[in-house]
Amino acid sequence: MKNIGYFFKEARTIFQVDRLSNILSIFSIGLIFLILSTITTAWWVSHQLVNMLRDEAEINVFFQEDMEDVNINSLMESIGIIGDVKEVKLVDKEESHQRMVEILGKEAKVLELFDSNPFQAFIEVKINVEKLDTILERLESIEAIDYIRDNKDVIDKLQNLISLLTIVGVLVITATGISTLVVISHIIRQGIYNNREQINTLRLLGAPESFIGFPFVLEGLFLTVAGGLLAFGLVYLGVKTAYGQIGSNIFIPLPHMEDLLKSMGVFILFASGVLGIGGSIFGLKSAKVN
Amino acid sequence: MIEGKDISLVYGDGTKALRGVNIAISKGQLAYIIGPSGSGKTSLLKLFMGIEYPTEGELKVLGLKMQKGQEANIRKLRRLIGPVFQEFKLIKGRTALENVMLGLRFLDMPSKMIKEESKNALIKVGLSHKIDTVVEHLSFGETQRVAIARAVARKPALILADEPTGNLDVDNALNIMSLLASFRNENTAVIITTHATHLLDNIDQGEIIKVENGIIKMESRGAVQ
Ligand SMILES: Nc1ncnc2c1ncn2[C@@H]1O[C@H](COP(=O)(O)OP(=O)(O)O)[C@@H](O)[C@H]1O
Ligand SMILES: [Mg+2]
Repeated sequence: MKNIGYFFKEARTIFQVDRLSNILSIFSIGLIFLILSTITTAWWVSHQLVNMLRDEAEINVFFQEDMEDVNINSLMESIGIIGDVKEVKLVDKEESHQRMVEILGKEAKVLELFDSNPFQAFIEVKINVEKLDTILERLESIEAIDYIRDNKDVIDKLQNLISLLTIVGVLVITATGISTLVVISHIIRQGIYNNREQINTLRLLGAPESFIGFPFVLEGLFLTVAGGLLAFGLVYLGVKTAYGQIGSNIFIPLPHMEDLLKSMGVFILFASGVLGIGGSIFGLKSAKVN
Repeated sequence: MIEGKDISLVYGDGTKALRGVNIAISKGQLAYIIGPSGSGKTSLLKLFMGIEYPTEGELKVLGLKMQKGQEANIRKLRRLIGPVFQEFKLIKGRTALENVMLGLRFLDMPSKMIKEESKNALIKVGLSHKIDTVVEHLSFGETQRVAIARAVARKPALILADEPTGNLDVDNALNIMSLLASFRNENTAVIITTHATHLLDNIDQGEIIKVENGIIKMESRGAVQ
């Protein structure tokens, strides 16, 4: 790459010849990527969330309150031998109460209204969520069980949300990809038009098309990466604010902010790189026809 | 070096610019193509520059067949020659040095040599003091010399200059002609077109090729050592 310095200088010249259009296209690409990354973030967070819930999938098995310890133990044993049950644990009345206090936090005062502990002991069964239905079937055949509480509904709802977000995500990715390609190839064609005399001269001197086109690819790459960085800056601020606001107020465990930002950064940089190169090559090809 | 047999060139609008041209130019030769305006000099030069290709007949330049569809040959030829276009075709906003260097960047020349050769060429055409001047700020004659330097710096086997005497007065025209002729050597042929027939009275070396109405007549004058 003996001409790399020349290529960068050329790209800068191409940029400066039509500075306003170039700056405007950086902003529009930034906006496009902002939409793209918002959707992707939503998808990523909910995906992480479902995975977390899956890993922690559990069902709570309630039994008659007057059951004796021996019987509780044998009940736990018979639950434990069911396939795909990972862990069986007894949560007694005190712990049950304690957990509620934790969940309610400041609101736990209401619990003081009760004379005695209103919570029941239960058996916490950690399971593989895929096998939930067969496990439930097996449990139902055990007589000592009063009733079973599971969070299948929540997981199902989240799963549906993810499916929806995936569809929306694919549409948005396609739409943003196409608009970026259009914006970039348009600005590249404009640059080629502004430089047509020079390009013609280079051709007459026998310059290969790759030599002529490379500065334009660099320009396209610069525009999308700059737009991508702009979008990432906004995403960074947005995510920080959002985590600051909701992180402490809801119980659902969000993915680590650093992980989220790192993934988004890599994703935006990669997408902008690919679209920048693709868009400028598209622009070069479509300009050549004329 | 250049071998043309029964070449004709018909432009898209039907203009027959060249007819039944037979031409042979050998390695290291100096040749002048003369003829009135519109006779076909530029057209002939464009064939040698790989800008046009013959409508009929056979043409080989530097051993490369010039023909429709031979894109690779045409591109290769363009890299091997040193063209001086009538309208110079320099890049605006760049210095003399940058312009000369740009003609070399995509040749098989090591990057160290590109700048060195470009400077040398500018010195040879007498522009050592204008190396870093933006080309729009040069006089007509200086601009022309930059164009010549760009051609020469490529160390081409063939220098082709279209109407370099342009509207220059006799003294300047002769100066530029002899400058161009000075780059001829056993490895570099030089071909110059001009409509100023009277200038050739002062020239005693080289082949003279007369063009009239798209037809040519070869005529020799003096020997080139
Ligand atoms: N691109 C072109 N398309 C059509 N006709 C052309 C073109 N270029 C030159 N001609 C015609 O071809 C003839 C020869 O032109 P040219 O080679 O430029 O002559 P010269 O250089 O001797 O003045 C002229 O009649 C001119 O009008
Ligand atoms: Mg002419």
